[in-house]
This record gives sequence, C-alpha cells and structure tokens, in this order.
Amino acid sequence: MELRKNRIKQRLRDGKHVIAIENMNDADSVEQFAPNNPHCFWFEGEHFIVNPQNIGDLTRAADLINTTSIVRVPRPEYQLIYHAFDLGAQGVAVPHVKSRADAELVVKASKFSPIGQRGMFTSRQGIGVDDYFRKANDETFILVFIEDLEAIENLDEILEVDNIDVFFVGPGDLSQELGHIGEQNHPEVNKVVQETINRITKKGRVAGTVANIHSYEWAMQTGARFFLSGTLDWIGKGFNEFKELSEKL
Amino acid sequence: MKIRRNIVKERLHQGKTVSCLAAWGYSGPDHIERLGPFQPHGVFLEGEHGNIDPPNISNFTRSCDIIGATPIVRINQNDQGVIYRTLDLGALGIAVPHVNNKEEAENVVEGGKFYPLGKRGSFTSRQGIGVENYHDLANDQTMLIVLLEDIVAVENLDSILEVDHIDVFMVPSGDLAQSMGLPGQANHPDVQKVVDETMRRITKKGRITGAIANKDNVKNLYDNGATFFLCDPRPYMSEGFEKYQEFAKRNIK
Repeated sequence: MELRKNRIKQRLRDGKHVIAIENMNDADSVEQFAPNNPHCFWFEGEHFIVNPQNIGDLTRAADLINTTSIVRVPRPEYQLIYHAFDLGAQGVAVPHVKSRADAELVVKASKFSPIGQRGMFTSRQGIGVDDYFRKANDETFILVFIEDLEAIENLDEILEVDNIDVFFVGPGDLSQELGHIGEQNHPEVNKVVQETINRITKKGRVAGTVANIHSYEWAMQTGARFFLSGTLDWIGKGFNEFKELSEKL
Repeated sequence: MKIRRNIVKERLHQGKTVSCLAAWGYSGPDHIERLGPFQPHGVFLEGEHGNIDPPNISNFTRSCDIIGATPIVRINQNDQGVIYRTLDLGALGIAVPHVNNKEEAENVVEGGKFYPLGKRGSFTSRQGIGVENYHDLANDQTMLIVLLEDIVAVENLDSILEVDHIDVFMVPSGDLAQSMGLPGQANHPDVQKVVDETMRRITKKGRITGAIANKDNVKNLYDNGATFFLCDPRPYMSEGFEKYQEFAKRNIK
C-alpha cells in the first residue's frame, strides 16, 4: 500500500496557500464538509477537546475526504508530538516554541532517523505501507507557533532549524504580551505580526497566521500562505443575517 | 427551582417567528455551546438521520440549556417509549417523522404528555430536577412537532389537525417528493405547490407550521404561514470558506 500523501505539504511546495479549518472537532461534521474539498482540518488539542481518545476518529474522517489533518498538541513535548502522528495526524501544530532548542525538539519528535528520533511505532497512516519508516518523514507536516516576544527575539536561530513547514505567528498570545489582550488585530499587534512574517518569508520559509472574518483580507496580504480559519465565524454571519431578515417579516 | 421555559414554544404561541439552528454538519456538545453568542432560539438535534441517541442526549441538551436555546430532538420512530425517554434525558421539543394519520398524531401526544393529556411514562426528566410539581408543569414546556412528509398525510390533514397539543406541523419536501413519485426533486413545482397549500391549510386552522429556511425562501415561507424556521449551517460554512478561497486565489501569487 502507498503512504497517504500530505496534500498541504504539496500545496505549500507548489507556492499555493492553505486554509486550515477549525471549530470542527467532530468526525461526522468533518465528513460532511467533503463537497467543499477543503485543504486541511485543524483539530484543537491545546485549548479544546482533542486528545488521544478521539484523534483516530477525527483524522480518519479527514483521510476519507482527502483532507490533511493537523493536530495542535498542548505543548512542545517529545512523546505528545509523536503520539499524535501515531494516531493518524498528518501534521502537528506546536504552541509556544520560543527557542532553537524548542524547535529542534519538535523536529526530533516528528521525524524518524536520520532527521530525528520519533518514537518507533507504525502510525495509523502506516498500516500496510511497505518501508513506512523510510517514507513517513516525507509526509509529516510540522508547524510551530511563534507567539511569544521571546520567540521573536530568538527568531533568527529558530528559522535555522530545517524540516519545519510553517512558522505560525499567533496574534492572540502576542496581543497579551503587547498589552492589548484580546485585540488580535490591534494596529500594534498587526505591526509585530507583519514584521515577523516578513522576517520568516525573507529567509525563504513559509509563514502562517490567523484569518478570521474580520482579518482575512489583511492576513492574506501579509505574505503568509498558511491560514487558520474557523467555521463558527461563517455560521455566525449566515445565521445572523437570516435572523435579522426573519425578524423583520 | 423553577422549570426551564421552552423559549421556542413560547415565541410560537405568541405569534413570533423562531429561528433554530440545526446541528447538521456542525455538531458536538462543546461545539453547540459555542453557538451561544448567535442566540438561536432553539437547536435541532438530529436523531432520525444522525448520531443523537440516548447515550448522548443529556450532554447535547445540557449544552443547549446553558446557552438558553431550546433543545429539540428529531427521533427516528413514532414510539411512545422513545418519545418520553428523549424528554426524560433533557429534550424540550420532540420532532416525530412520518406522521401520516390522526392515530399516529395521537400517539405522539400520548407519549409526549403526562396525564391527563397523555400517558408519558412517569419519571422526573433532567429538566425536572428540583422542580416542585414537575409533573403538573412539564406539559406546558414540552413541545411536539410532527412531520407531515408523505402525500397520505396531506390527504389526512383535516383529521390530523383535530389533534390538540401538537405545537408545529411541518411539511418537509424531501420525503414528500418521494411519496409523490418525484424522488430527489424537492423543488419540483408540483411538490412545492402541495407544501405551500398544506402550510396554508394548517395556519388557516389556527395551527403553527414551519420549514427549513434560508434568506432566499423565508419571505415566501412566511407568506404561506410558516413561523418556525430551521436553519442549516452547512451553506453558511460553505459560503464562508469559498469567500476566503476566492480572496486567497486572487491575492496570493
């Protein structure tokens, strides 16, 4: 059997954008999204209900509709990262990476030798795949969050670490440290996010950031190519418009 | 403790419109709780075709209760035991598919209401915890919806409408089309004509009707008497995603 291709790695290699969809940590809901042919689903394990008990079900639903699955793990921890891959994630997103050592740990946990030292186990993605351990590294996607001022200070050395697909500039946590808590798109936050994206892309690496209903037009013109977007925004817009109309009848 | 009010039922009987979100393609108790800011009057939980059943009804209905939206569960059989167990687990509204005649409508009321209106099994629902006189108060807060979705139900409409204590009579077009020999053609003019006429007959008798609604059809539905609106979130999600996609394609080289 062939190893399942990682669609968003290919899209990013081709210079295309990726929209990762969040608020969909429910396997049946994921499957229902198939007609839109989404690039990628984002399963939330830092702040939400995703954990080893449901990663298999969620990522299977994504696989069946030919959509890349990313699991955000709670913290940069060696075993947590490869456990998500073992259960079927095609990508991991790792929050609060602040230093070169943190970034190197993420790569070590995500890639088998010779790149890293991912714990030896055949993932759900490897069932029946010949020579899985030599092929897996090509299809595993790694995203690290740059969301602390400390990480921005250490950005140059973090960007020296190979095998990281996306450096995601997280405006939410940055807004806290910049004194504008909850104002993800405060001009000062936007300025720091934009400067950080510029530094990432200048080194030839791929940047990502949040694209919500208020910010997507701005975010998609920052030079970033990976975007995190949520269905709740879309439901809210559609339903509010309906409700407003129906209440005028 | 006071019994939780059924906001949807209250609004409908005051002659107001009701907008419910259906948990179609967006589901899970923790996800439903996040719909709170949109203030849906009710949430429609899918147990005829979807995964809502006794092991998860209480978690789903609790997530509706906590955001102040009335939980409505569509069950998959017109069975009294299924009806009252669903209410016992926390549903405030029950939608029963394929109700085709007066006896079947009466069965819904018997299962959905305590004595003297019906024969709902005696048990204190999750909605009745700590409520004094729950059995006397429950009937007022339980809402019964029947789906008239076979052409035979339309033929039997007058006698079905004689049954009291049913709050909403819906006329869903998908199954109706099948029963008219037009499978998959819910929008066929012959089907829509029957739906419109049936809704008008329901409201003419002073009863309430409703339908799956969107921005484009809501005016027509309302003109035909519908006030109970069920919103499908899937087109909203699709529209939102496609809008971002188009912007990205235009702006990212």
